[in-house]
Amino acid sequence: MSNLAVLPIIIPLFAGIIVTFVNKRVSLSRNLAKLFTILNLGVAVYVMYHVIQHGTIVLETGEWVAPYGIVLVADLLSALLILTTNIIATACVFYAPRSLPESKEKHYFYTFYFFLLTGVSGAFLTGDLFNLFVFFEVLLIASYALIVLGGDRVQLRESLKYVLINVFSSVLFVTVVAFLYGVVGTVNMAQIAERVQEVDQKGVLTTIAILLFFVFGTKAALFPLYYWMPKSYVVPNPVVSALFGALLTKVGVYSILRVFSLIFVHNISLTHEMFIWFAGLSMIFGVIGALSTSNIKLIIAYNIIPAIGFIMMGIGFHNADGLSGSVYYLMHDMIIKTALFLLVGAIAYVAGTSDLRKMNGLIHHYPVLGWLLFISAFVLAGIPPFSGFIGKVLLLRGAFTNEEIIIAIIALGTSLLILYSIMKIFIHGFWGEKVELREKKSTKGFIGPIIFLLLFSIVLGVGAEFIYPTIDSISTDLLEPEHYINSVLKE
Amino acid sequence: MIFTIFIPLLFALILPLISRCIPKVHPGYFVLFVPLGIFIYYIQYIGSKFTAITETYKWIPSLHINLTFHLDGLSLLFVLLISGIGSLVVLYSIFYLHTYERLNHFYIYLLIFMTAMLGVVTSDNVFVLYTFWELTSISSFLLIGYWHFKETLQIRCFKINAYYCIWWIKYVWGLIFLTILTGTTSIREMIANPEPILNSQFLPLILAFILLGAFTKSAQFPFHIWLPDAMEAPTPVSAYLHSATMVKAGLYLIARFSPIFATYEWFFIVVSLVGIITLCWGSYMAVRQTDLKAILAYSTISQLGMIMAMLGFGTEVAIFAAVFHILNHATFKGGLFMIAGIVDHETGTRDIRKLGGLLTFMPISATLALFGTFSMAGIPLPFLNGFYSKEMFFESAVLLSNETNSFAAFLSNAVPYLAILGSVFTFVYSMYFLFGVFGGQKKLDQLPKKPHEAPIGMLLSPFILVSGVILIGLFPSLFNQSLLTHAASSISQTVNTMDIKFWHGLNVPFIMSLIVVGIGIILTITRKTWQPIYRLLPGKFSLNKVYDSIIKNVDVFSKRITNFYMTGSLRTYMLIIIGTIVAVTTFIMINTDGFNIKYDNLASISVLEITVVIAIIIAALATIFTNHKLAVILVTGIVGYGVAILFVIYRAPDLALTQLVIETVSVVLFLLCFYHLPKMQKRDEKPKTKLVNAIIAISFGTLMTIVGISAHSSNWFKSISDYFIETADTIGGGTNIVNVILVDMRGLDTLFEITVLGIAALAIYSLIKLRKDKEAK
Amino acid sequence: MEIIISILAGILFATAVYNLLQKQLLRIIIGTVLISHAAHLLILTMGKLKRGQPPILIEGITQYTDPLPQALILTSIVISFGITSLLLVLAYRTTKENKTDNMEQLRGSSNE
Repeated sequence: MSNLAVLPIIIPLFAGIIVTFVNKRVSLSRNLAKLFTILNLGVAVYVMYHVIQHGTIVLETGEWVAPYGIVLVADLLSALLILTTNIIATACVFYAPRSLPESKEKHYFYTFYFFLLTGVSGAFLTGDLFNLFVFFEVLLIASYALIVLGGDRVQLRESLKYVLINVFSSVLFVTVVAFLYGVVGTVNMAQIAERVQEVDQKGVLTTIAILLFFVFGTKAALFPLYYWMPKSYVVPNPVVSALFGALLTKVGVYSILRVFSLIFVHNISLTHEMFIWFAGLSMIFGVIGALSTSNIKLIIAYNIIPAIGFIMMGIGFHNADGLSGSVYYLMHDMIIKTALFLLVGAIAYVAGTSDLRKMNGLIHHYPVLGWLLFISAFVLAGIPPFSGFIGKVLLLRGAFTNEEIIIAIIALGTSLLILYSIMKIFIHGFWGEKVELREKKSTKGFIGPIIFLLLFSIVLGVGAEFIYPTIDSISTDLLEPEHYINSVLKE
Repeated sequence: MIFTIFIPLLFALILPLISRCIPKVHPGYFVLFVPLGIFIYYIQYIGSKFTAITETYKWIPSLHINLTFHLDGLSLLFVLLISGIGSLVVLYSIFYLHTYERLNHFYIYLLIFMTAMLGVVTSDNVFVLYTFWELTSISSFLLIGYWHFKETLQIRCFKINAYYCIWWIKYVWGLIFLTILTGTTSIREMIANPEPILNSQFLPLILAFILLGAFTKSAQFPFHIWLPDAMEAPTPVSAYLHSATMVKAGLYLIARFSPIFATYEWFFIVVSLVGIITLCWGSYMAVRQTDLKAILAYSTISQLGMIMAMLGFGTEVAIFAAVFHILNHATFKGGLFMIAGIVDHETGTRDIRKLGGLLTFMPISATLALFGTFSMAGIPLPFLNGFYSKEMFFESAVLLSNETNSFAAFLSNAVPYLAILGSVFTFVYSMYFLFGVFGGQKKLDQLPKKPHEAPIGMLLSPFILVSGVILIGLFPSLFNQSLLTHAASSISQTVNTMDIKFWHGLNVPFIMSLIVVGIGIILTITRKTWQPIYRLLPGKFSLNKVYDSIIKNVDVFSKRITNFYMTGSLRTYMLIIIGTIVAVTTFIMINTDGFNIKYDNLASISVLEITVVIAIIIAALATIFTNHKLAVILVTGIVGYGVAILFVIYRAPDLALTQLVIETVSVVLFLLCFYHLPKMQKRDEKPKTKLVNAIIAISFGTLMTIVGISAHSSNWFKSISDYFIETADTIGGGTNIVNVILVDMRGLDTLFEITVLGIAALAIYSLIKLRKDKEAK
Repeated sequence: MEIIISILAGILFATAVYNLLQKQLLRIIIGTVLISHAAHLLILTMGKLKRGQPPILIEGITQYTDPLPQALILTSIVISFGITSLLLVLAYRTTKENKTDNMEQLRGSSNE
């Protein structure tokens, strides 16, 4: 037993409280935020190291033994996602001062940012279904606060829809937790898994499972539940969009991955087969959405949906390659989506518009942004040797193992169109005749965090040899729920 | 070997530094050393005693992705082409491009491209091969877009990009299939053991993917349309990418994998058919063009088709001829592209209608073009390499006959005639090119510039290439044993030697050549007469137009679909979300027999409870039908208080208290907020809208009821609450069990519940404050 | 009685959803309030109704109602309260800024 598992939750919580009180002194709160984020990143690295060395960390809070108290479980998957989250957070916190007006920083941006991190980390770590709901609420309410920050007309309009749809899915979540409690008499995930296994997921359990899938699917922006997502991710400041794009939807996907590899794995031919269809439809409609618009921010926002489809596809296959692929892709997509949102934010800033039709020849003035976008496009589309490629190869291997050829072809077509949609920005926005600018805006402060993230993407791809064994053991764990159950319940 | 592959890439990285230090010198001079060095390095391998060499470096061994490079005869031929033509192109570009044209960019792309091509032709690992393959796409895309600030080019590049995206990548999935079926990522091992592939049910799919990749890269019909568009690139790029190297990568791929598929009949049918159609269509289209580079582009397409067809035939003579023609085509077509570039450079136009009679102004270029075009046309002269390979092509076409499948048999009978047809047009456009530019009348008034001969440096590269044409033509045996045999053998997997001779006697292939020349001369002389026919076809059936409209419609189509459901209306979103949840969940519930109801072990029903329940129901329904702001809020309050009373009845005192307090505060909040809001309007929806809303609402409510009943009727396990009751006092130290749970056992929940409240308060504060600040301004 | 409460919850869900599908903001928010009531009632039902005494330990009594659902509901009530109040202020600000409380007029142009 180690208290390590609670640190990634507690540090941002306290950091959030502390920066609340210095909100008037902007530069102090900036520096504090950077400091705490880096501290948290350090902790995340250590947790990862500890988990690799000594195995899963299980923390029974308040010394109440599992399954009665709330447990925090840092297994490899959780630790990896915590680490990725903190890498993203670091990039965002360094990008934020450049991107946000001071008034927003003063109005508790950093507080909400830290609470968002608290919620996300908690959701990744908790081993208790009701506690997961609570952490969902923490991250959601922090996201509500972030999305309305500034309170523009359009922003308010879109955030209202976002909040309302999420309130609905939260209520559904808590109801489903109750249903599950009614059947198995517990809210501890490991024990639920054990009991569901005992009765072979019979009767109403599969129905409850599907309701739970829809709850998470709404958060994950899966077809056909994603309507709230694209526009509401576009209206806030780029740094907020980046945090949302990278973290919120991915928390939903993580929950599906966890619940449908740990608990509801006894009727795969029905549930998981259905996921594959949802995955395919997400890919198709997501990428069609990305092609339909000339708002560069919206292009990126729509591109979240096919990525979710890719990850869902692997979850649906439920075999070693598929799950490795999903985890790899999850991690890859968190990083590259953040980078893209930040990048597009910077582009929109220097161009003074996010409408692609009004841009031309930016590369003459902002070559670095142009080339970063160029590389990001290839990272996103899964061109080797970047990170997306490894994920996709694994996913496709998973597809072929299960002989799911149709979905594989859909996936392939989608990734080509994804590349097309991003290259559209490059060709129309960056190429073309040199237009004289009235003033050349500085890109200082934008570039660093983006490069930082892209470096990780490249390392994930080129250095796959170092990461793959970890991913491989994660997928082994996911396929063997007993590992998780035993480490929590310790018979 | 690995060093030679990556050295262009490494040099690309330091090129900006070098040209910053020595800004006066054209960077091309530095770059020139790279391909030249590689070329000289690989020349040592030429010789009849050559054996294949392999090098392996670990990259991602867990996924069997390793940097394995394998240099056999075929690879050697390509490596020499890439580095040899590469040197000449760089040399040519030094005179072609001016120093003010962002040269560093150009050379960086070119060097990256070189690494990519070298990688493609030497990789043994399919994933590494794919990596380099992609890199060729990316770098060629950048090279084509080098003049991206020209308006037309931006649009064309967009098309090409779309094309790249849509087709070029496809074949990787075929590769993944191959690795899964064979359990290896090494091409050599796949060739050694092709059984699992040939016996797989996915064989057609695999082949389709790989062929699609190869056909698009090698501009085969109907995927050829990107190549003429790509001619907007600077001429050195066209000469290098679009005639000598990149477009041949597809051929390389087919050649490389053909040992695996050789016994599969559809491989023969598809590859030969596509190749021969491309030959005919490309040469026909070339005759119609007016732009010099477009003529050459379609000519390239047709020549590639010819090689492709020979690879499809798969006989020894065909493969040898294919390899031989790859070499020959690189020499004469590279030279012709450079001459087209010179003409463009010196006269300012590439429009053949404005050109003519340049012989007197540019005698050297004209001479070089003469050799190039005659070789391309396959005119039977003993010093033109084009004739030799064309002769072998005819020979291989005639020899095709031992097919069993009826379609294959038909195809093999048709091939010789199609071969003649394609070659006739080849002859025609070759002459058209030569005489259109250099012969005929002078039209000086139509030229933007006064023409004169190009500087000697610019003529050097085409001169070397044309010398190659003649050298191979005069001494074919010089290359036969030392290079071509190895290359052909590595495709056919057996020792494959041919005798290259000018005079085989008056056999069928030679007669075919004579027919081609005969008809060709007639058609060339009477060209004017045929002009209307050339214009007629394909007219509006042009694939280019089809493709354009697809590209245009992608935007429109996707916009229409997306706007159809992304209406921005919350109601639509909710309808779809809830509708999906209800439909799918019901389906699953029926499918898994999820419904369950038990009437035993239920709590008793009292009058009080029923009264409260009915009151709540009435109040809840009233929220729908009330049209007064205040009333709605109060009615909602009644529901809340009713729930509180139920909490009391069901022995949850803490809940009841909390509910009461919160309900009261909520009602007050509601009143506060909505005091300022517009009046309630009467609901004025159409009956249809009402009906849909009601159906969705009722079905969702019913679903929740049914799942709820099933859930508490399926109470299969003891609750963990018993433990809480036992230990609340002994361990928790409190008698109110709910409170002990909240603050102790599930303390973490409570901590974050408070956090939620805190964030909400702060968010509300900042929402109001920020507005006040704004208004103050 | 469990069945009747389940039906009551179902009716609350239905009215809530019907309200959520309306155009006017106030009705929609009332929908969110009703839906959380429905959820709480269902949670309570899952722990069996009226079995034993209120969960406050008294010497000599061994039968108590299930305390866990009550704890969960308490957490949930407080959270919904926080969110409802945020929602109210947000709604208020939105209608002020956009000068309408009709969601159909808050669609926004397509894909801007």
